[in-house]
Amino acid sequence: MKKKIGLLLVIVVALVLTFVPLGQTNTQSAQAADNSLEKIQKKGVLVMGTSPDYPPYEFQATVNGKSAIVGMDVYIGQQVAKDLGVKLKVKSMSFDSLLVALQTGKIDMIISGMNPTPARRKNVSFTKAYYQGGYDIVINKTDKNKYKNKDSFGGGTLGAQTGTTQYNAAKNQTKNTSVKGMTSQSDLILALQSHKIDGVAMEKPSAEAYVANNKQLAAIPAGFSMSSSATKSAIAFRKGSTSLVNKVNKTVDKIKKENLVKKEYLPKAGKYLKTNTVNTSMFHYWKAFLTGIEYTLIITVCSVFFGFIIGILLALARMAKGNIFKNLLRWISTAYVEFIRGTPMMVQVMFVYFGLGIFVNLPALTSGIIAISLNSGAYVAEYIRGGINSVNIGQTEAARSLGMSNGETMRYVVLPQALKNIWPSLGNEFITLIKDSSIVSIIGVTELIYQSNIVRSDTYRGVAPIVVIMVLYFILTFTASRILNHFERKMQHD
Amino acid sequence: MTKPVIEVSALAKSFGDNHVLKDITEKVEPGQVIVVIGPSGGGKSTFIRCLNLLETPTSGKVAFEGQDLTTLDQKSVNKLREKMGMVFQGFNLFPNMTVLENIKLAPMKVKHVDDATATKRAHELLQRVGLDDHADAFPTSLSGGQAQRVAIARALAMDPKVMLFDEPTSALDPEMVGEVLNIMQELAKEGMTMVVVTHEMGFAKSVGDRIWFMADGYIQENNTPEQFFAHPETDRAKDFLSKILM
Repeated sequence: MKKKIGLLLVIVVALVLTFVPLGQTNTQSAQAADNSLEKIQKKGVLVMGTSPDYPPYEFQATVNGKSAIVGMDVYIGQQVAKDLGVKLKVKSMSFDSLLVALQTGKIDMIISGMNPTPARRKNVSFTKAYYQGGYDIVINKTDKNKYKNKDSFGGGTLGAQTGTTQYNAAKNQTKNTSVKGMTSQSDLILALQSHKIDGVAMEKPSAEAYVANNKQLAAIPAGFSMSSSATKSAIAFRKGSTSLVNKVNKTVDKIKKENLVKKEYLPKAGKYLKTNTVNTSMFHYWKAFLTGIEYTLIITVCSVFFGFIIGILLALARMAKGNIFKNLLRWISTAYVEFIRGTPMMVQVMFVYFGLGIFVNLPALTSGIIAISLNSGAYVAEYIRGGINSVNIGQTEAARSLGMSNGETMRYVVLPQALKNIWPSLGNEFITLIKDSSIVSIIGVTELIYQSNIVRSDTYRGVAPIVVIMVLYFILTFTASRILNHFERKMQHD
Repeated sequence: MTKPVIEVSALAKSFGDNHVLKDITEKVEPGQVIVVIGPSGGGKSTFIRCLNLLETPTSGKVAFEGQDLTTLDQKSVNKLREKMGMVFQGFNLFPNMTVLENIKLAPMKVKHVDDATATKRAHELLQRVGLDDHADAFPTSLSGGQAQRVAIARALAMDPKVMLFDEPTSALDPEMVGEVLNIMQELAKEGMTMVVVTHEMGFAKSVGDRIWFMADGYIQENNTPEQFFAHPETDRAKDFLSKILM
């Protein structure tokens, strides 16, 4: 049904598993088979993972003045928790991250419009399907007479979210039609409205939500031929959680029998969709953007601070020479710097969050700060090393001849001068970090990019939130560079 | 007889295949001013830098007040370096600190002298080298002669027993050489033990107690200035003296 099984995540999981003794994960799931139900009931809390950018399944809305995750999946989650006699906690993250989060114990279940494909079944246990959807194609209203179904787009372009069932269907089941894939639904709608594509294939409830909220759009039935299993949504639990799945299946049966989704959940979600889009002015969402700025700054400032400390330690270690211990230290830090610089920051962020998550349950924000600090440290180390080498050897000799130790010389004489020399590079790194902190949006930290995506899916407006965060990022970086320049001038003695 | 301040025996230093110092055995007595002269490339700078272990000798002993530096751990070497002030050809003032901070840094960080005491002492030293009005200036605003005088004050701030001068006037414009040599001469008068590598023959003659003539990695002659300049013994020294303008 929805979205991709992130290839990147598969790699991360593979990496994680190589670092973790296989037996451990196996025994974990084997044990879970017996007491999964008992464990949740004992804990009293059921953590549900979802990707709230998919109205009406799940999305962010303002409830009583506060931002909250709502949608039919959330109501299903509430029913499941109620029947288990526990509290429900909803955790939001990107769809790609959900499976890994479930396997690493960050969440207890996934309800996120997830389709129980055979590939996913290998890694998690699914309940019975709670909802049977279908597919529509959203088009511009002006084209309403032109298109009837998937076969009317000969010579044109259809859009769909990359890696989704509808993407594959659009590719395989149309003729003479090119298919354009994008990661976000809102981008696709934007492309449709700017006539870059002629139609967007998506699930019926989503299509209906878009059409209801945007008068320039219309929906036509897609007419894909699909097995019914490809249009189902089910709840995912950790592999082997038989007792838990059996218990939850009873809830699913009840929901289906009473037709709760259509009768109760969808109308309830639709109501939020309406209140949500009454005011789509960007000012209405200033709180969301403010939260974004707050987290972007928290991540950047913490990462710069720790990255700098890590950088100094690495730089000193890289310059250690002498006995075996020091040589080993140098070798390790060199390897570290090379490795970090040679792997994408995105993978590092996911590795820290999911990989370390097996040993310690770190919150997403902490994981993000750790990953970015570790990354930044490697770059800062290289700047500092260059800075230290740029300080005349005479400075060291003068300090040593005064009786100062190696450490004192470094600290009082060499490093301050090195710092001055590399200040512009460090400033650059700081500004890069403000921008690069956006990467942690993939693990659900509510920084600027994440918040803007939420606003985009809430308001069905594609460009405005982008413009807003562009301006906000620029204000942040420009202010930062002014402050850095001020200190650079202050250090200028020659 | 008093104990020598510095005692060098069988000192040798090579950089790879380049044997800069071959076999040096000499003593510096308290209060003596030793002037090391000789042709360029003869090992003078390497020699003086071996005295406080800025260069690690390849073999031989360098003893300060009877303690062999080459056998000590780093901490003890740091401790002994406090007692050996050094002045460099390139001044090596810390450019990111004011003149006053340059002088105060080592006493405060190494000897843990409090700020008020260190400041007072720094001003005294600056008065002595005639630069107290430049206390808050940064090194880059100083002339070469002024910078070298600050460097001397900085070394004196640690109250050293010996002062090592490595070509202190070589990087200076001619009109500034005098102000630096004057300070050195005053220091010598006050009884400071000094080892000076220099090309200033006038200074060597008038201030030096002993001349060490160094060439080809050896101290070729060790004599009083009068004897050395009037009656050099070795051909190497005669050749050197014939080439320099006196």
